[in-house]
Parts: sequence; structure tokens; C-alpha cells
Amino acid sequence: MSTRFSKMMSVRRPTLVSRKVLIDSLVRLNPLRLVANPVMLIVEITFFIVTALAIYPEGFPRVASPSLRLFYVEVALILLVTVWFSTLSDALAESQAKNTANSLRRLEMEVSSKKILIEEGSRRIVPTPSRELRKGDLILLEKNDTIPIDAQVLEGIAMVDESLLTGESTAVRKAPGDDVIGGSQVLSDTLTAKVTVNPDETFINQMIRMVESSKRPKTPNEQAVTIVLIGLTAIFTILIGALLGISLVLSLAADLSVLIALYVCLLPTTIGALLPSIGLSGISRLYKEKIVAKSGRAVETAGDTDVILLDKTGTITVGNRQAVEFLPFPGFTERDVGEAAFLASWHDDTPEGRSLIRLAYEDGFVPKEMNALDASEVYEFSASTRTSGVKLSGGTGFMLPKSGGTGRERGRLRRKFEPHVEGGVPIGSDEIEIIKGAPDAIKKIVKSVPADYDEIVQKISAAGDTAMALSRNREAIGIVRLRDVLKPDIKEKIMAVKVMGIRPVMITGDQPLTAKSIAAEVGIDEFQPEAKPEDKYDIVKREQAETRIVAMIGDGTNDAPALAMADVGLAMNSGTQAAKEAANMVDLESNPAKIIEVVMLGKQLLMTRGAVTTFSIANDVAKYFAIMPVLFASTVPELKALNVLGLGLNTAVLSALIFNAIIIPLLIPLAMRGVTFKPSGTMTLFLKNTIIYGIGGVIIPFVGIKLIDVGISLL
Amino acid sequence: MNIKRELPQNYGPAVRLAVISLVICGLVFPLVITGFAQLIFPSQANGSLVQFHGKTIGSSLIAQNFSLPIFFHPRNDSASGVDPDITVQDAYSQIPRIASATGISADKLQQIVDQNQEGTFWIFGTPYVNVLELNLALINQTGSSVYKNFR
Amino acid sequence: MGWKEYFLAALFVNIFQMAIAFVIFSLQDVLPLNPQGFPGLSWDSAFMQVISFGTNTNLQHYNGEGLCNQLPNCAALTPGVPGLSYLSQMMAVQFLQFTSATTGICVAVAMIRGFITHSKDLGNFYVDFTRSLTRILLPLCFVASLVFVGLGTPQTLTGYQIVKTVEGATTQATQTILVGPVASLVSIMQLGTNGGGYYGANSAYPFQNPSPASDIFQIFLMLLIPTSLCFVFGQLIGKKRETRPILWGAYALFALDLLIAFTPNLPVVGPGMEVRFGGFFSTFWTVVTTAVTTGSLNASLSAVNPLVILSAFNGMLIQATPGGKGVGVMYMVMFIVLTVFIVGLMSGRTPEYLGLKITARDVKLVMIAFLVHPVIVLIPMVLAYSTGAASAIGVGTNSVGFTKIFYEFTSAAANNGSDFLGATANTPFFNVSTAIVMFLGRFTPIGLLLALGGSMINRKRLTTEAGVRTDSPLFSLILVGSILVLVLLTFFPFLALGPILGFFQGRVNGF
Repeated sequence: MSTRFSKMMSVRRPTLVSRKVLIDSLVRLNPLRLVANPVMLIVEITFFIVTALAIYPEGFPRVASPSLRLFYVEVALILLVTVWFSTLSDALAESQAKNTANSLRRLEMEVSSKKILIEEGSRRIVPTPSRELRKGDLILLEKNDTIPIDAQVLEGIAMVDESLLTGESTAVRKAPGDDVIGGSQVLSDTLTAKVTVNPDETFINQMIRMVESSKRPKTPNEQAVTIVLIGLTAIFTILIGALLGISLVLSLAADLSVLIALYVCLLPTTIGALLPSIGLSGISRLYKEKIVAKSGRAVETAGDTDVILLDKTGTITVGNRQAVEFLPFPGFTERDVGEAAFLASWHDDTPEGRSLIRLAYEDGFVPKEMNALDASEVYEFSASTRTSGVKLSGGTGFMLPKSGGTGRERGRLRRKFEPHVEGGVPIGSDEIEIIKGAPDAIKKIVKSVPADYDEIVQKISAAGDTAMALSRNREAIGIVRLRDVLKPDIKEKIMAVKVMGIRPVMITGDQPLTAKSIAAEVGIDEFQPEAKPEDKYDIVKREQAETRIVAMIGDGTNDAPALAMADVGLAMNSGTQAAKEAANMVDLESNPAKIIEVVMLGKQLLMTRGAVTTFSIANDVAKYFAIMPVLFASTVPELKALNVLGLGLNTAVLSALIFNAIIIPLLIPLAMRGVTFKPSGTMTLFLKNTIIYGIGGVIIPFVGIKLIDVGISLL
Repeated sequence: MNIKRELPQNYGPAVRLAVISLVICGLVFPLVITGFAQLIFPSQANGSLVQFHGKTIGSSLIAQNFSLPIFFHPRNDSASGVDPDITVQDAYSQIPRIASATGISADKLQQIVDQNQEGTFWIFGTPYVNVLELNLALINQTGSSVYKNFR
Repeated sequence: MGWKEYFLAALFVNIFQMAIAFVIFSLQDVLPLNPQGFPGLSWDSAFMQVISFGTNTNLQHYNGEGLCNQLPNCAALTPGVPGLSYLSQMMAVQFLQFTSATTGICVAVAMIRGFITHSKDLGNFYVDFTRSLTRILLPLCFVASLVFVGLGTPQTLTGYQIVKTVEGATTQATQTILVGPVASLVSIMQLGTNGGGYYGANSAYPFQNPSPASDIFQIFLMLLIPTSLCFVFGQLIGKKRETRPILWGAYALFALDLLIAFTPNLPVVGPGMEVRFGGFFSTFWTVVTTAVTTGSLNASLSAVNPLVILSAFNGMLIQATPGGKGVGVMYMVMFIVLTVFIVGLMSGRTPEYLGLKITARDVKLVMIAFLVHPVIVLIPMVLAYSTGAASAIGVGTNSVGFTKIFYEFTSAAANNGSDFLGATANTPFFNVSTAIVMFLGRFTPIGLLLALGGSMINRKRLTTEAGVRTDSPLFSLILVGSILVLVLLTFFPFLALGPILGFFQGRVNGF
């Protein structure tokens, strides 16, 4: 499964220009398609004007001369290439985004579904293509079926493989009320489910729609940048118009092609060309993280985050607690406890349950009664008893269970124990009941409580760990020590968040002592212990009242109000439909720690946009010094004093134009990848980027134009 | 806001304010200043006129035409055209002409120029003399007979 | 008042005031206090002049005293070229100088109110106007006027004095002493950054500016209120530190102007300068008068080095160094918003200023306000040549001539008022074109920036100060850089053809 998944996700390298991208970039040269990008449209119009100069210079007395025909051809070509670089960047960004989306879209291939029609009280199954399903339809999901569309389970319990969508390799148990996601697969049993969305409303579809750039609405910040670009374009249009007028009325003999060259050099072509791809590749990067944003706006807002609410579980610590030690009560061995834990957890799909199996397995405590697991009675976890467990009745020798657990676990067991299958030992037909749960809950159901029961539990709590008690046939046999395991790089991430001036707040259901020790370990100063889901809403409200921008994650229905209220709400795909609807982003991999990446990505997106804009404007200074000395060279030779770079009079204009064009493809990787930055405070980032892209933006073209000029004159 | 509705609402107060400000700024203020000025600084308020032997012969602030060789001449190329001052250098350069026309020694003339030199602000600017005052000093202090018609 | 109401109130009051002044200019021949018997102004001249004074520009296409100042010994007034009667000087010129300066303070304060936390509206124009006038300008001008009289500036309603000169004892030559209610006008023209002089020669004329002391006092008055308003900004919004970018930015640019102006060499007295001011104060004045868009002159612009002219252009094109009364602060806020938006984006947060997120609409308002300037400077400049209006008044098609025309419209657009052309530009083309430019250059940005202030009311305000710190020295530095780049990008080719070319040529004639 996981191999197939990773193959699907491997996106073609964005820098690789495929033939399709090339053709697309040429098609985009159509002026009608450039209307959305006024800067580039104008550059294309100037291309047509200079082409006209090249074809028939006699038609432009006073501003063109037939002797400069070759020069006009050169200028026209560079202008066309400038536009093409821009369309190429668009085409690349779009192809990259589409590839990312398509790999996810494949998950939602057209499948046949079993629609249930209820006629006169009897059910009838009608095979229906998934396209034709509508919200509210009932569908039958049987073993090995691919779930055609997002739906909610009405009847039945089944194991469903969602790894394609979530990356989690574990099968998930689905029971009435749970949501199933289109594209996942039923591994066992049968479900009846109600379709919850229309085919084009599914998350993946929403995502794919956003990629189609023509339909992608501009974010508020993009709109504002576009206004700046239009304003600058207007200013430079007036400037060049006035310069042409002055040249004519004062007989300064400026050549129209040189004026146009100056015009195009001044226009914010760099940012004009790259603006669409910056936004689009930002979305692409989000897709690569397998996060669906409902709008680009949310991504930008993420960059403004002041407070980030982190659920301890899943964000700071790995899933749930991990079992680390079996502690038997007098009269029992460690093996007794381990085997009991194994049996009690076999049907428990939570990470905590799995960790019990793993610990037991690693210590070699694999129980003989495994074959009986298939015929066992499962006690699901209930909040009232705070226990779960299993009741085994009889079994004949060691056999691997056919279901339950995960494929991987079964495989592992098979490899280890298959040689002994034939030598299975009968264990009799006595019933075994194993119950695990909170120590005080187990205490209530056992026949007698061992003397050191409380003492052991106390010790474990004091160490910041959690105790879980085990009973076999209503007899307390031991305690399991569960420990929170930190995510591998969480400390660095928290540090980065804090450096950027963002306050992390940890939310946990733990008691204050445990919460404090974990918060301190990862460097979080604020935490909310013993939190109920409603507490998140209160925290969001409180922080927002102090005008802070709050980012949070959530999965349960209880999280929905807080998700809806938070400025940035990231819902887990494994979570409830309500949570997903309330959030403005959904993580298909259901990895809550990604909220930090989302914030960084938002910042990176804004930074990249600002950097290219600033760079583009700062570039203009050098271009004046390249072109102004040439513009009136014949009539105002004194202005050659502005030629500080010592460019050739015949090559200066071409050099400036070539620089202006070539900087676009050179910056495409920056636009696609985003500005790299080390996490630091707002003012530090501001200063660093201003030096690199502002001051650098003034200096680099001086160097670049000079180098190009030297290159041309060598030719 | 409906502009069509606002327009007439604004006419009344706008006109009133325009008229009241006209009376205060355009009439009352300059008249009050004129009154105070005439009371406190009557000489300056009326143009710093220079009395010479009972007659008003000009203003100390406004250059007047001197074309006879026996007088220091003002400059005509300045921004106002009535610059009352010349630089000391300029005055020195005119000394030979005046000396030969009047017979007054150059030393005496230079002494008169130096006496009438006006300070400059800090290090900025060039030392200068007021032409009218310089010429009146010539008439009064030299006792030369060429100036007798001007007393 | 909302921004529209406030703007309309200001516009109406100003238009009515200009209308009154128009009548006085046109009918000065039949109105009292006209001892010299000047004729009324022609319609285009009167139209241009009321807009000029009403917009705080004070571009003057006439010589207030008649053409007498051209000769040291002016007995007869040049017929057909009107001077202004005492009534016109008082009830048209001084009146509009007061009201336009007052309006400037009002609109600036109104815009700032939009940025104040919890403000509900932009205030009431009528109240603001009355208070600014009676509590700030009139008292200050009262004191300043008397100081000027003490320093030698006339203040009288008697007619021009005709006296027999020293040489007149033998030649019977006479001199006309051009007195009038000068001191009361000089105080408001400098304090209100108006710049329109009583005399054609403006503050070069000895009566208007009798001594180095009065010169320094006038420079002080010019800088007083524009600088104070930078502090008013921080004071009003309740964050005094936010004065910094406005004040520091303004004075850093001002220092740069001074540096450019004084770079070639320490200026000495030359033709076109007054001896009592010398080269230093003539140059310093020119920089100050354009930095605060006053536009008064104490030397002839033709007399100063091309780099001084370049520095003057800089002041007029930026308009916020610290800029004209009130509008200087408004322009600086405009530049701050623009800088925060473009450069501030690189901090990785959506741009905010004073805790207010900058929206696309804000950017639109600011960009249009920024765009107004090139439109109203460059287009009429080309028209002046293409219609032949420039050559009709003897302006050449060389760099000197070009500088004069470019300067004329830059000065008009910036509501500065200093110019090369003076009374020679009293032609219908220049009167009408500059009038339109002055009106648009004044009221369009005011309207747009009031709208900017108005849109800040009730906007969600972040108190976290997590965005770019505009009160840091670093920001002021970046602000100055952005302003220079933006303004230079917009006008560099024209500066290159004008003062920069003049500098390269090392002489002041011919392309």
C-alpha cells in the first residue's frame, strides 16, 4: 500500500520543462489570454509595435530610422522572449500544481458503486457510477469495494484502509456515525452508508478546482499587489508618453524602440511575470504536504499567526502514549502481564493499543491463545467504565488470527511463528476474560486489590507517566507503564515558532503535573491541562479578544466551533465532517504537527511575493543608468555622463532588455520554491530580506547588465 | 452618504464660514496689525524712510539710483532689483573712481566703508555695506565740497 | 463627519472662499483701498490666482507691487500690468493664505483621526477650521507680524511714498517707496507654507525680508507648523513613537536635499542674490522653501546652481520633507503605507500599519494619490511645448527652458508656488493649465487620503505589535530609501533633461 502511495505522490520535477508545458506556454502568448496579466499584455503590445518598426520603419518618421532595422528585430525578439518567459513560468507552476492534484485525483477514479434503492420497504441494489451519486443517496459497501465517495456510515462495522489518503498504514474501524472517505477501501465486512457530498464537492475536487488558475480567485494580498503593479504600470506609461512628447517637441530625436525598451525595463515585469506562479506554487507546496486549503486567503492569514494552539497528542507527542514497561503484581510474571496486554489490545486500533502489542511482541510475550482471538468477544472502550477488553472462549493450539490487528502485524507474527504452527498446543476450553483500563476503574472490578496497587500507580504518575491496569478473570495481574513519546523534531519546531514571535499554547487532557513536565520538556511556556474540547473555543475567543491571530488544529465535532472561529483552522481528515467543514484547511494525512508547517508556508508565500516585488522595483534604478545615456545620445551627449557602467552605446539597450528578460527564468525557481528563511523575528526577516532583495535588487542589475554588455560586445 | 442630499446641507455653513473668515482674516487681522505696528514701530511700519536734513530722501531698505561718479553705486543684478547693499569688496572696487572724482583719499574712503560695514551671520555670507548710508556718510563726514549741493 | 462629508465641507468652504477672492481680484479697480489705482485682474489671471492662493500654492503670475521692482528708480507703473490693491492683498491674498493653511491643518488632523483607536468619525470640519484658525494661526501670526514690523517690514495703508532721492537734489530724480500692509501678509505666507509674496521678488525684496535676522525668522516660521504636525500625528493617535518615521523620514530627506544643494561648493553671492543673505542663506532658503512646499524665494532661482534646483525638485516631488502644512504628514503616511505594503511584505506577514491591516482598497487609494502627481506634472508640461505656449513667452527649447516649464508644473502640482516664470507666465494657457494642476494637485490627494483615514475607522486593530515596527530607526531608513526610489523612478528622465543636464553642462544654457 505504502509503496503504491509514494509512487503516486512522486511529482514530476517542476524545473523539468516537458513538451506539454512548452506548448502550453506558447499557447498562453495569445494576447486574449494575457488580459489577466496587464503588465505582460503591455509588453506584448510593445512587441507588436517594435515589430512594426522593424517591418516598415519608414512609416514612423522622427521616431524610427531604417538604418536601425536589425536593432528593431533584436529588440522585438527580446520583448517576445520576455513575455514567453512569463507564460512559461505560468505554465510550469500550473503543471506542477496539476500534477500534485492529479496524483490525488487518481484516488478518486470513476468507480462503480452499489446504490441502495428502497422500494415498498424492500431494498434493491442498483450498480451506479460514482459520478452519478448525489448527496443523501444510500450505498452498500462490501469487502474489497473501493468507497466511491465521501459518506457516513449508517449500519455495520468494518475495517477500512485509508492509507491512500491519509498515509496512515493502519486500517481504521468504521462504525455507524463515522465518515468514510472516497477512494479508501473496505477491508472487511459490510457497511451501509449515506453519501454526504455531491461528486464535485469532495475535498479532492475542491482542491483540483483551486488549481485551475483561471478560476482560482486572487487572494486579498495578491489583489493588493496587483493594484500596485497596475499603478506602477500607469505611472510608467505616462512617463514614457511624456518622454516621447518631450522628445518630439524639443526635437531630441529619441528612437521609439529605445523608449519602448526603457518602458519595458521600467515596467514591473519580473513580479508581473511571476506573481501568478508564486501564489500557485504556494498552493502546490501545500498540496505536497497533503493539505487542502479552502482558500488561498487562509494560507496568507497563517503567516500572521500570533498564537498557535497545539494539541499535545499527535502534535507534540507521537499519537497516544506508548507502553514502555510491564509491572506484574506479586504472584504474576512479566510474561503474564505482557500476554494479557497483547490479547486485550488485539482489537484496539488506537496507537496506544498498538504500542501495547508492540512492547509485548518485542519482549517475546506472544500468547498461545491467539487463535482464539477470532472467536473472541470484544469489549469496546466505553467512557463510563473507562475499560476495554476481550473474552476468549476456547482455542486449539497456536494459530494466527485471520482478522484484527493490521496486515503488517499479522505478517510480522507469521514470519516469527509460522514454523511452529503444526506444533500448536491446545489450551483447553476455559474462558479467559482480560480487561485493561484506568487503575481506579480496574480497581472496582477486581475481586481483590493487591497491597502495593496504589503505591505502584502513584510512583508511575509521579514520574510523569501514566499507569494502565490489567485484570485477568477479574484478578489484578499487573500495571503497564505508558509514556508520552515526543515527536522527533518537535523541540526544534517549537523553538522556531517561538523565535518567529508566535506563542505556542499546549492543549492537553492530562493532569497539570504531567502537562507541565511535557510542556517544559519541549519549551512551551503556556499550557492548558485537563482541557475539555470546549476549552479550545474559549482560548481562541480570549486570544482574539486581544486581537491576536490564532491558528489551531481540531478533529472532533466538539472542535468545530473553535475551528470555525480560529483565524487558521486545520482539521484532520480522520476527524468528523463537522470539524472539516468548520476548518479552512484539512490535512489529508491527519498529522496535527503540520499546523506549524502551514504557518511557515504562509510566511514564505508572503515573503516571496514581497521579495520579488521589491526586487523588481529596485531593479529599475540600474536600467535608467543603462538606457538614459543612449536615449538622447545624438542630441544630448552630456547625458552620457550617466553611463556609470561604461556600457557600449550600441549594446546598452540590448543588455538592459536581456537582463530584464533573463531575470524572469532565473527567479522561477525562487518563485516556485519560495524564499528560504531561517526562523527569526519579524524585524530580522524584514531587515535581511530588504538587504537581499531591496539593496541587492539595486546592485545586482548593475552587475548583470555590465556582464551581459561585455558578453554582447565579445560576440 | 448620498452626495445629492449632502450638497444643499453644506451650502449654508460653508457660505457662513467663508464670509466670517473673510472678515476676520482679510480685514480685522491686517487692520489690527496695522494699528499696533503704527503704534509700536511707526518708522519701520512706514517703510524705514530716511530723513536727511529735514527731507525724506529714500528708504534705508530700498536701493536708490546713484549714477554720479562721486557716489557708491548699488548693484542692479540682484533678485529684487532694489538690493540696498553691496559687498565690502564691491565698495572697495569703487574707491578709486570716487577718489579720483572727489579728491578724497582712498584711505579715508576705505575708513568710511569699514565704519559702515554690517555684520554677517556667523561664518555665512559676505560682509556688506548699505549704499544709501554709505553715501550719506560720504556727504556728512568727508566735508568735501563736491557734496555741498546734496546737503 | 465621515470622510466624504468632511471632504465636501472642506471643498465647499474653500470654493466659496475662492469665489469671494475672485470677485475682489476682478473688481479691485472699483473697490476701496486701491491708492495706486490698479486695474482689475483679467478673468484668467483672477481665476488662476484664487486657485493658486486657495490651494496653498501661491504661484504668482503677477507682481503685487506692479512692475516697479524691475528698476531701482521706478517712478511710473507699467501700464496694463496690474499690481494688487491693498484690499486685494488683504482680502484676497492674505485671506486665502489663512484659509488654505487652516484647511491643510484640518484635513491632516481629520485623516489622523481615522487612525486613532476607537475614533468614530473624522471630526467636524467647521469646528476644526474655526479652532485651527483662531487658536493657532491668528495668534502666531499676530506675534510674527509685529516681529517683522520691528525688523523693518512695512505695515501701512497709505499709498506708495514718492521721495526725491539724494541725487535728486541736483537731478530732481524721485523714487517710489512701495509700502503697504506687508508684515501681516509675510507672517501668514511663511507660517502657512503659502509662499505668495507681497512683492514679485518675494522675500528677496528688502521690505519683505529686510535682514539676515528676518531671513532666519522666516525659515523658522516655514518649518514650524509642518514639523509640529509630525508630532501631532504621534500625539493624536496616542503612540508618540509613531511620530518617528514621519519626522525622521522627513528630516533625513531634508538633510539629503541640503547635501545635494551644497555639494558643488559653498555658494557665494552672485547675480540674482541679495547681498545681505549671501550664498549660504539663498541656497538654504531654496531648499527649505521647497522642502515644506512654501515656495517663497529670497533669491532668483536662475541664480542658484543646478544642483540646488535638483534639490528643490526633490522637495517638491516628495512633498513630505516635511512637506506643506498638513498635507506633508498626509503624504508621509501615504509613503509609509506604500513602503509597509511593498517592502514590509518581506517580513512574512500581511502588511499592517499601526495595527491596521492594509487592504487592497487602501493600496488603491494610495496608488491613485501617488499617480496624481506624474499625471498633472508631465501631461501639461508636454502641452506647454506642443501648443506653443512656452515659446510664446520666450521660454527656449533648451535645458534651461525645459527646467523652467518642468519646474512650473511641478511647483503647481506640489502646491509649492516658487517658479522661474513669474509674471511672464500671465497668459491664458499658463493661467488655466496651472490652475487646473493646482486644484487637482491639492484636492485629489486630500480626498483620497481622507478616504484612507476614513476607512480606518472601525477597522479591526491589532495590538500585538508583531508586524513591522514602523517606529524603529531601521524602518525610517528603509522608508527614505523607498521614497527616493519611487519618486526618482517616476521623474528621473525629466530631472536628467533639466537640472542634472544643467549640472553636467556646467553652464546653464542650451541642450
